Amino acid sequence: MSIEKFMRNAVTGWMTTHGEHSDIVMSTRIRLARNLTGYHFPIAFTEEDALAVDKAVAGVLLDIGESEYSYTKMAELPALERQVLVEKHLISPHLANPDRQGAVILSEDETISVMVNEEDHIRIQCIYPGLQLEDAYNQANVVDDHLEKELPYAFDEDFGYLTSCPSNTGTGMRASVMMHLPALTMTKQIDRIIPAISRLGMVVRGSYGEGSEAPGNVYQVSNQTTLGKTEQEILVDLGNITSRLIAHERNARELLLAKSRIALENRLFRSLGTISYARLLPSGEAARCLSDVRLGIDMGIIEDIDMSILNELMIFMQPGFLQKYADVELSQEERDIFRAKLFRERLHAERTSASVEKSGEE
Amino acid sequence: MICENCKERPASVIITQESMAGSAERHLCDKCAFHAQTFHFNPNQEPLSIQQFLSHWFSGTDPFQAQQQTRGESQIGLECPSCGLTFQKFLDIGKFGCATCYDTFRGKLPHVLRKLHNGHSIHGGKVPVSFNELYAIKKKIEEIRMKMKVAIEAEHFEEAAALRDEANTLKQHLAHGGGNSDVD
Repeated sequence: MSIEKFMRNAVTGWMTTHGEHSDIVMSTRIRLARNLTGYHFPIAFTEEDALAVDKAVAGVLLDIGESEYSYTKMAELPALERQVLVEKHLISPHLANPDRQGAVILSEDETISVMVNEEDHIRIQCIYPGLQLEDAYNQANVVDDHLEKELPYAFDEDFGYLTSCPSNTGTGMRASVMMHLPALTMTKQIDRIIPAISRLGMVVRGSYGEGSEAPGNVYQVSNQTTLGKTEQEILVDLGNITSRLIAHERNARELLLAKSRIALENRLFRSLGTISYARLLPSGEAARCLSDVRLGIDMGIIEDIDMSILNELMIFMQPGFLQKYADVELSQEERDIFRAKLFRERLHAERTSASVEKSGEE
Repeated sequence: MICENCKERPASVIITQESMAGSAERHLCDKCAFHAQTFHFNPNQEPLSIQQFLSHWFSGTDPFQAQQQTRGESQIGLECPSCGLTFQKFLDIGKFGCATCYDTFRGKLPHVLRKLHNGHSIHGGKVPVSFNELYAIKKKIEEIRMKMKVAIEAEHFEEAAALRDEANTLKQHLAHGGGNSDVD
């Protein structure tokens, strides 16, 4: 498959570089957790419960006249396809387990994904590119209103929306922004910022959830508390913290440029060299170099490469996507070879006019 | 002596590391020692899982908690009538089994929720429209029942019958509006 065609099929709504501050905020995600009355939560429910919930939710979303949604049952999807959905952030790793009666209902542009029978009966998720907290929430809210009209939600006057995990009780909302913060990381300021943010009821993590590392200097900032505050208050608080992080990151970039321009340029161009010519590209190195190249593009140091390169390749460099691109199962070393090939081809496709890298390798 | 870690610079710091296997001394240069320490204090370490958190905070091992439990002995045996989850099991797994659990453990939850949500235990956000309507109708039915009782006591049977009909239509509305019929 040609790289252009593969990309065309694989790029999803949130990977474009629209939206505010899209040089630093890569995407905005809103997730609402909801449960129905009359069935135990997925942790304790029977297969009949699972099927009934599935039928009820799918019924509401798919029955709209010209429904823009498509329904996929996890048990009927090959493992590789499930992995690709996880890598695109459209489903959680938890949902991908085929033994658990899970299903996903996706909108056509994949910005809305409704997970059925994940940890809760319903998880509504909206991912938008750039910083768009309001818009993403409004979209999720519309889907929520629509479901609420037809289905009896488990709701309590005191506790709000009842969820399986007490950390989601209340609004059931997790709002998060994915941010590329290379300058704050290089200058180690991030180590002081993370604990400060956590004191404000927010969490900062590496982009892939639980782990401590932030591969490619991509961090996810999200609200920790879901009870007591309104959805609007949570969004405003998260928005404020995000704006401050953006300002700090921009300052740090200015500072790097002013204090050590040559060293910075050296590092960024070396990274560009690596991803342009490497024949073996382990994921850690790939993530680091991509971050450098993206920083170079943002700062006007590296020209003629589109900034969407980071958003896309960060996703496509993962094992599931690589194997889909290769169309065969790959060992770790084979993956490194393919990753290098993917990066070279992506960069080559970008520079159609500048024929730097001729077809010498065939 | 040179630094054990980089094997380049001279060692200037001795770090004692405690682990399961006992304590070990490591001789490091200050650069490596700094990294060893920042690693040690890395605030971004894997966050405490919710299960660990709940069982550390709320299980009966610490004396403060034990004292509380002797007071509320009867609450320890709380078990959800719908899914069978006990309060202790809830603390262990960190998850509710069903919506009824919230009702069952209602008295103990504010304490748990406040720890998780920065001191908050009452919802302040969105309320489903259907819930508002349902709530209003339930209130209305209660009101009508009261009036009916008064009417019967006063032997105004015609008025009582009219009120009963009114309550019944509302109840029917409740059954439909509540959506229960959709998912049986």
